[in-house]
Amino acid sequence: MKNVIGMVNFHSSPEIPPLTDQRALGSTSFLGRYAFCDFALSNLCNSEISTVGLLVKEHQRSILKHLGSLDFWLTNTKIGKTVVMYNEEAHFSPETNTDLNNIRVNDWLIYDSPASIIVIVPAHLVISLDLRPYIKEHIEKQRKVTFIAKPIDNPSEGYLGSYLFETDEEGNVLSAKRNDGSSHTPALASLGIFIVNRSVLFDAVHDPAAIRARMDVESKLLEVGLIEKRGYVVSRYEGFARYIDSFQHYMDYSLSFLQKKDADEIFKKNWPIYTLTHDSIPAVYGEEARVQNSYVANGAIIEGTVINSIISRKVTIAKGAVVRDSIIFSSARIEQGAKVSNALIDKHAVISAGHTIKGSKNAPIYLKQGGRL
Amino acid sequence: MILAGGKGTRLLALTRKTAKPAVSYGGKYRIIDFPLSNCANSGINHVGVLTQYESSELNSYIGNGKNWGLNGVNALTSVLSPKETEEGSSWYKGTADAIYQNLDWLDSIAPEYVLILSGDHIYCQTFDAMLERHISSKAELTISVIEVPWEEASRFGILEVDKDDMVTAFKEKPKNPKSNLASMGIYIFTYKSLKSMLIADAKDPESDHDFGKNIIPGMLEAGRRIAVHRFIGYWRDVGTLTSLHEANMDLLLSGDPGTNIYTVQGNLHIYSEDTLDYPQYLGPRANVSDCLINQGATILGSVNHCVISSGVVVEEGAECHNAVIMERAIIKKGAKIYDCVIAPDTVVEGDVRVNEERDGIVLYAKGRIYR
Repeated sequence: MKNVIGMVNFHSSPEIPPLTDQRALGSTSFLGRYAFCDFALSNLCNSEISTVGLLVKEHQRSILKHLGSLDFWLTNTKIGKTVVMYNEEAHFSPETNTDLNNIRVNDWLIYDSPASIIVIVPAHLVISLDLRPYIKEHIEKQRKVTFIAKPIDNPSEGYLGSYLFETDEEGNVLSAKRNDGSSHTPALASLGIFIVNRSVLFDAVHDPAAIRARMDVESKLLEVGLIEKRGYVVSRYEGFARYIDSFQHYMDYSLSFLQKKDADEIFKKNWPIYTLTHDSIPAVYGEEARVQNSYVANGAIIEGTVINSIISRKVTIAKGAVVRDSIIFSSARIEQGAKVSNALIDKHAVISAGHTIKGSKNAPIYLKQGGRL
Repeated sequence: MILAGGKGTRLLALTRKTAKPAVSYGGKYRIIDFPLSNCANSGINHVGVLTQYESSELNSYIGNGKNWGLNGVNALTSVLSPKETEEGSSWYKGTADAIYQNLDWLDSIAPEYVLILSGDHIYCQTFDAMLERHISSKAELTISVIEVPWEEASRFGILEVDKDDMVTAFKEKPKNPKSNLASMGIYIFTYKSLKSMLIADAKDPESDHDFGKNIIPGMLEAGRRIAVHRFIGYWRDVGTLTSLHEANMDLLLSGDPGTNIYTVQGNLHIYSEDTLDYPQYLGPRANVSDCLINQGATILGSVNHCVISSGVVVEEGAECHNAVIMERAIIKKGAKIYDCVIAPDTVVEGDVRVNEERDGIVLYAKGRIYR
């Protein structure tokens, strides 16, 4: 689709400490093999959108480390391009580091392209979504902005911080307010994905009031939409999505993909999820290994027991070690006889021989990167 | 120059539509990943891959060498298949002829030395020490050799050497070997010498145009200097189904600690194709022990002492023992497989027993057993 620019928005990702202290949520490890932003990038690629901007807010190192050469998901590496968009001006005034300012200071990407439509997708949403039908509908119905939103049963249980929409029968936005978790009634929650016409986006990011108020792009577009009333439409998405909005949800949602029905919603035939390759060796299992209901990434070596867990690259689980209901990030080491349950062990951390780390389902424990117990 | 044209008939149905160097190995790799990674790790940036038998799959796999990093600045990876020229067209008639037909490619690179490798050997090493040996011994050819057990020496091309490890005789499969130094089919030639010998060999109507049969004996006869380089480490020529199976099982932790996947690689990476598989998943009733399993495999049943490739599904209630299960094979509920290689894209139905009598190593492909 030469008519469309895609942007992956790292600005709209929530902070979920302590996991995001050193990294962007979009580049945080998922299922031992992916980063969340792989879904956004793969959805754009599979939807044949070949010009992609990465709206990077901070933690560029962690993002660029994952994205590597920036071209591995491009179908044609000459025609397609991926550019990092970063707002250097915001370096000394972090409070101005909004996606709106980022797009404005990097608007050359839009100038350089004849595209008339821009699709912005959040970096942290787990979804396998073909954007083409939404773009087609957007064009046919001559809209200015299409917000893609999902009906949810209980806003207090998810999609915290995202907009909850009210619309008329045609989908025109009547109201939008941030989900603060107080409502328990079914609602239409923004996925943070929106399709916007070039000139509408251009006006929004150059609006002095919006710049002064440090607004984000979605808020500004909604503000304009509520005044203009026509052409700012919500499209419903009834399918599967996981919106990571807290550490607890990170754990719960990740482990829920151990169930086939959830995994099948994101791992679909003919919809590959691209990710960085590490040339790791296949996973190795020892003679005493016992592994059940788990994801295991290449490079892992498992000689102990792993139940209901996610094991990333180059993790070592020694003989006699037991890991349950936990997520182990890459290069972590669980030594002989150690026990880990309901925990997230970050990269390069070590659980020494014989030690126990035990959280509970509703209060998982976190061991920081390089930490040692 | 990697010789990758061989058919590998002793691998039965595995190589019916696939060249031997493209056969999968170790759950994740293809055999040719090893020589290509060895070149990359040695800092050799110009690689020609000579393909012939069932070449299209292999050619597209090699591509521009990107999977091995051989596509960078000043690097060149070329797939060299037989071609039509002014003189006509011909298949590669032998290993020496394959190089001869690509002398123009070599001339365009103008190398000082040419390393000639087989595309179907499994080993991890750099060629730095071998090149040093070639230069310091002032040889025109250096052959990498490995010490084999004396009782097996009569199966190999055997080199006899003097006290300086310079070759005095070469005997193909000798009945009464006087040495146990076997040629590994890895050669470093000084390019000038190689070129002149290949041109002379091409004019000889009696020649089989083969390095082992013609070029090396011819060089010895003419009194040219040939050195050996002694290789120490893991090296396998997986010519048969049994040796392919064995080389896979060597990688497991339960075997000889000197040959498992960690010690075989040492500090060297083996690079390979990046597959877009979903993560490897082991089910609630999976039973996995002593295995090597690649990403993209789904294990719901029981697997013991197995090497399993991406896209493989072992259903709940299936049992696999001492098996090499290649890409995308499906082992259905109730199936039991023993001591075997399961070919890529094979479905083993639930009522099938593969080699239950455990008689040697068998291949299961397209619904039948090959021995």
